Amino acid sequence: MTVVDTSVLGDPAFAVDATVEMADVSVWFGAKVALSDLSCSFGPGVTGLLGPNGAGKTTLMRAMTGLIGVNQGAVRVEGRDPRRDRKVHGRMALVPEDESVPAGLTARQLVRYTADLYRIFDPDAPDRALQSVAMLDVADRRVDGFSKGMRQRTKIAAALVTDPQVLVLDEPLNGADPVQRLHLIELFKQLGADGRTVIVSSHVLNEVERMAERVIVLMHGRLAAAGGRHAIRDAMDDRPRHVLVRSDDDRRLGAALIGLSSVAGVTIDTTRDGLVIQTMHARDLATALPRLARDASVRVLEVRALDDSLESLFRELVR
Amino acid sequence: MTDSARVVSRRPRSRFVAVFVYTLQSCIPPKRWIAVLLACGGALLFGLLAHAVDNFPTAEQAFANVAAEGIFSLVVPIAALIIGDAVMGAEVRAGTFHFTWLSPTPIWQIVLGRWLGGSLVALVTIAPATALAAVVAGAPSAAGPAYLAAAVGSVSYVAIFIAIGCITRRTAVWSLAIVFLVERLLGAALTGIAQLSPTWESRAIFVGYLDDPPTRLIREGIPQGGAAVVRLLIVTIVALVVANWRMGHMRLSGAAD
Repeated sequence: MTVVDTSVLGDPAFAVDATVEMADVSVWFGAKVALSDLSCSFGPGVTGLLGPNGAGKTTLMRAMTGLIGVNQGAVRVEGRDPRRDRKVHGRMALVPEDESVPAGLTARQLVRYTADLYRIFDPDAPDRALQSVAMLDVADRRVDGFSKGMRQRTKIAAALVTDPQVLVLDEPLNGADPVQRLHLIELFKQLGADGRTVIVSSHVLNEVERMAERVIVLMHGRLAAAGGRHAIRDAMDDRPRHVLVRSDDDRRLGAALIGLSSVAGVTIDTTRDGLVIQTMHARDLATALPRLARDASVRVLEVRALDDSLESLFRELVR
Repeated sequence: MTDSARVVSRRPRSRFVAVFVYTLQSCIPPKRWIAVLLACGGALLFGLLAHAVDNFPTAEQAFANVAAEGIFSLVVPIAALIIGDAVMGAEVRAGTFHFTWLSPTPIWQIVLGRWLGGSLVALVTIAPATALAAVVAGAPSAAGPAYLAAAVGSVSYVAIFIAIGCITRRTAVWSLAIVFLVERLLGAALTGIAQLSPTWESRAIFVGYLDDPPTRLIREGIPQGGAAVVRLLIVTIVALVVANWRMGHMRLSGAAD
């Protein structure tokens, strides 16, 4: 049973072959509204759920898995209400952001416990799940003694052992080292390519870009934007950006920068002890700046985007 | 992640057994064990205290008085609270209960597995400690009734505290309020409340099975002995039904909230 109005298909917030549907969903905790009238859906493949802290990503994920009920609206996973129909839990798995893990269990015991709850008959499944996240060699160590990244990977293994058709991952790359990040990103992409619905939340755009073709952006509990990752990136690239440049001669560098077509404005920021450059074409600026500095005999000490955080992107998107 | 070509038939533990084993493996961390064992030590101290009570004709009567006021009214509820909170409320607060809840395991199996796990811990700790306290007090004939009363009382409490853990995140506060305000204060005055109270009913089980109980411990209007066992079993079942109902409606918003 679908709860999403089929006339909205074609809207980038809605997947064509939706397995997870959210229709007019609102969730509040006391006076705090965590999700407000949110409608979207998720289908096979990897979908990124982007938003700054407090945007409602975790609440949305808890609502779609049935961990919390919604105050208004409807949630359906494969046509069933995860809050009422516990059988649907056999088709989905959640990796929460919380660091907390059951005390006293080894990684293998935790994954095996999950396998037992899901009635997984394959005796090798727990070890294979641990292997897939490179945790097999520490499988007999206690989970509560693990680092944040290792706990996260163990929880991912506990989710994977259930062979989920819908996999919901809340900030799964938190605490992972660069090598593990790459490995996990490839794993999630593979799961998506296998036809599973993989929903990954993050507040880091670059991370989401690397694994998700489709991105849904939340802000203040509302849908801020949705679409392909390129559309979201374009929205980011086409907005004015501010770059801080610190050098050994800010005035000379500023004078040189004003002549660049990619520069819309330059101000000397005494509090940051550098130049704040406004540009519509950050990439062009990045290419031109080293040459310009060399020609002006100025030594560049630091180049830093001031508004590259998602919050600034979201402000632009929802303006 | 299953690979159908490599599937080897294995009989996984049933969900119920898995929950039960998990409860024993994970829910009672070392600190909780220490707290439970301290409570057991408290029961033994009450056994020793019975030697200091010299205004009763027999050691059994002296122990009965000490046990009624100290063990069944204080030690058993506190030990059961430590266990009952560990197997439910503490997991919800820690944000780890979703590992169990978010599986297709029927709710009743989760409730029953948790309760049986907690009850087993009570049966091997506080109930034997209560029986041992009778021996320490020089009243070995009271050991059997003491074990039975502590066992039935504690498993009933564990069920009640699991139900409270399904209703509120402040399990310890509400559980203490029920034990000391409702049971001790109101239960002392109102027989109707005492009839549903594990404290009063476990006392009644203990007193009912003693050969020569002190008359001051026999309370009118409260079933004694076997009837009290039945009464507490009914209370236990009702608590488990409430837990089963509430667990399906829990809002698991995580450890941080």
